[in-house]
Amino acid sequence: MNEFLHGLQMLVSTPLVFVAIGGLVWGILGGAMPGLSASITMALLLPFTYTLEPSMAIVMLATCYIGAEYGGSIPAILVRTPGTNSAAATVLDGYEMKRQGRAGEALGISLWSGVIGSLFGLLMLMTLTEPLSRIALLFRPTTYCALGILGLSVIASLSGKSLLKGCIAAVLGMMVATIGTDPVDGVSRFTFGTADLLDGVAPIFAMVGLFAVSELMTRSGTSGTEIGRQEIRLRLPNFAMMKKLWPAQAIGCVFGTLEGLTPGGGGAIASFLAYNEAKRWSKNPERFGKGAEEGVAAPETANNTVASTALIPLLSFGIPGSNSAAVLLGGLLIHGLLPGPRLFEENTDVIGGLYVGSLVATIAQLAVGFLILPVCLWLVNRPRPYLAAFIFALVVSGIFTLNMALFDVGLVLAAGLVGYLLRSFGFPFLPAVLGLVLGELVESNYRRSLQLSGGDIGIFLEDPIAIGFLVAASLIVVGALVREWRDATSKRKVST
Amino acid sequence: MRKDLVASAVLLLVASLYYWATTDIPTTTLSDDIGPRGLPNVLSILLALLAIGLGARALLAAPVAAPEIEDDKEKEASTLRAFGLLLVGALYVPAAYALGYVPAIFLLVVAIAAYEGARVSWRLFAVAAGGAAIFWLLFVQALGIPQPDGVLLPSMFSEFRL
Repeated sequence: MNEFLHGLQMLVSTPLVFVAIGGLVWGILGGAMPGLSASITMALLLPFTYTLEPSMAIVMLATCYIGAEYGGSIPAILVRTPGTNSAAATVLDGYEMKRQGRAGEALGISLWSGVIGSLFGLLMLMTLTEPLSRIALLFRPTTYCALGILGLSVIASLSGKSLLKGCIAAVLGMMVATIGTDPVDGVSRFTFGTADLLDGVAPIFAMVGLFAVSELMTRSGTSGTEIGRQEIRLRLPNFAMMKKLWPAQAIGCVFGTLEGLTPGGGGAIASFLAYNEAKRWSKNPERFGKGAEEGVAAPETANNTVASTALIPLLSFGIPGSNSAAVLLGGLLIHGLLPGPRLFEENTDVIGGLYVGSLVATIAQLAVGFLILPVCLWLVNRPRPYLAAFIFALVVSGIFTLNMALFDVGLVLAAGLVGYLLRSFGFPFLPAVLGLVLGELVESNYRRSLQLSGGDIGIFLEDPIAIGFLVAASLIVVGALVREWRDATSKRKVST
Repeated sequence: MRKDLVASAVLLLVASLYYWATTDIPTTTLSDDIGPRGLPNVLSILLALLAIGLGARALLAAPVAAPEIEDDKEKEASTLRAFGLLLVGALYVPAAYALGYVPAIFLLVVAIAAYEGARVSWRLFAVAAGGAAIFWLLFVQALGIPQPDGVLLPSMFSEFRL
């Protein structure tokens, strides 16, 4: 609390407000650009922070992270392309709302949920940093493997009408995840002698291809009237809607906090788990995937909560909870700041500035959102041929920035072709994305666990956190199977 | 049902090819018990089983109800048209390799917009030129990210800084 009070004093004595808003705007713009992940957006900002005071530099990077997590939802809703990995779950209902002519409402819910998530995450960051970080130290390979399996269990509810097709999509995603250098032995797999594939296929390539390119292909030559002339007005939720959204937002806050504390978890798992749980606890789960407001609120709250809570293990122990937190760690080290208990004692201005700067950015998010979103909506309402051309240009430009390789552009186009075929045959995308994101986490940690135990699978039973994750995963899968069996039974009754 | 049968056959083929490709994965003396081939082998078998399940379900499922009619379903492009768009977009790769970023983006915008139904006029070329300039300003100038440098027009725009 002392740090926070010190940070409040900095509001008048330093350019903290301008730095926080600058970082936020940069983050939103970067996050909104497909291909530029939150971590890349922050990395691009890193050189500009060299000349700043350490406290201001950290504020700028942290608020950039907050902005990028929110910005990722803008293209997810408007052009079916998640700007960041963690916005992938937002596509499902966000884009459906946009199709129904409710883009302004979806963006308003996303903005409001982002603010709620950021505020909650900040509260957690300020109050629970030290005590909760101890949990992170208990994580072992068995725990990470179980966490990945828990994440994969969400496939059961992301599969839409057919669990079988969802499982097939997930296996395909995991197959793509095996491309590249083996995570344990270091040998190359499925690279066919191509150096470009040694690092594997980044999830963002698959996501941009599956969502954006396949969408452009599917809608090619159709008039834009069905997509709808969208209202160019951001609509924040009214009181009744806020009341409706709070359970989903609460779920998002819980998962955002848990994932933020989990090194390697990241916003993507949090948003998928939050989406799954919001659907499970909803009174109208059948609306999910068809433009349910809670389907936008839950993942957006979760990934914005992660933007703050991922800093908890980083600040306490120097363990980055996500790629973006790793960039922030780089920022701390560049300025000679070592994470850990001494950081709180010797650099109160850095910690205080971080707390207050994050608060300023969170509040400013509403105003900045109002300024930026109408521009985005206006852009989406341009004539369809031009819009399609510019989305394509944005995709190829954004993707090139990752590795400066035209090969990656080819990969994205190939992913677009696969996405188009999956869509044509009625396979859902999200399980494939989840398989791709989590495949390496599960495989590498499973193998490391067995190496540690000399091949004894019983090592999982010695890890209580892993057991908890595995039980939770089993419950999710069994629940989904029971639901599918009930649906099939009731359909059979109706038909006879 | 027919689509599922076709999908099942294609997936079986994918599983077979993937399994065949796993034989190329080298093993080392440092390999753990599972090794680099472990998961790929499991995945290929799993995919084959799921594909067989999909095919069996398609064959056994009784055609009891008429297909659902979705009133709000958007129009979708024909497969040929969709593949055509991808082909036009794919031309960006050789264009960027040969000409560099700005000319390639200009050509991409013109080609995609024209393919999507925009009338070919001075307006289309003006919008494409403006768009290419904006993308160059954003990525190369503002973000400082080099974009493809053409072998025929080297360093014309990609890394030139204002």
